[in-house]
Amino acid sequence: MIQAAVWFFGAVAAMATLLMIFQRNLVKSALLMLAALLATAALYLALSAQMLAVLQIILYAGAIMILFVVALTVMPCALRDRASRSVFLKVLGLAAAAVILTELLNVSGALKGFLRPVDFSETGTLPLARELFGRFAFQFELLSLVIITAIVAATALALHRRRA
Amino acid sequence: MSAYSLASISFVLFTLAAAGFLTSGNLVRMLMFLELMLNAANVALVALGPQPASQAYTVMLFAVAAAEAGIGLALIITLSCAFKTLEPENIKELKG
Repeated sequence: MIQAAVWFFGAVAAMATLLMIFQRNLVKSALLMLAALLATAALYLALSAQMLAVLQIILYAGAIMILFVVALTVMPCALRDRASRSVFLKVLGLAAAAVILTELLNVSGALKGFLRPVDFSETGTLPLARELFGRFAFQFELLSLVIITAIVAATALALHRRRA
Repeated sequence: MSAYSLASISFVLFTLAAAGFLTSGNLVRMLMFLELMLNAANVALVALGPQPASQAYTVMLFAVAAAEAGIGLALIITLSCAFKTLEPENIKELKG
């Protein structure tokens, strides 16, 4: 049952990403991306990562998607998406992606012998919090610097645009 | 379930996002596919890593993804104001 759920939600996420490639309308692309992100959240749930599923919905499907939709509304030229790339470049891009997939599957061939139990279990937030505020406390605090830098950079870019 | 199957799900997600990134001609769409590539990497981390530690790493990567989207969209909005286009082929100079 859980195994079928993993395959199903993986297939939904892959299908949404595939449809995004062929979708020219950016708003519809954003909605397909939302579907892929929600399917990934369900995948986390099937992999017994409940906290990550909630964070995925709040952060990715909520905050980041809102950011994309707001950016699309302030950029009118974003909605005029033309198929400008040449067919040769598109074929080259698809060939490069196929090579990446083949290589990744070749490299991970060593994983064939390993089993990963996917029985539904409760992964509490307490062990996760112990990791974040114990072993990874320094990295977690450094992350606040990254976010502060991002806020300052985005504000500086917005002020620069207003002055220009 | 074999670890190879779980890895192949995330690899297919990553490759589809990479194909979209390489074939799209719009900066916003490229950033969307970049986010999906990072998302696929997160799936691999959760599926294959040791459980509490890999989830902790994924929480940190969520914050990195949010910062990346914020800065990326701010840069794209600035570029679209300066060049009046979102096609990377038409943006040929980076002089400030």
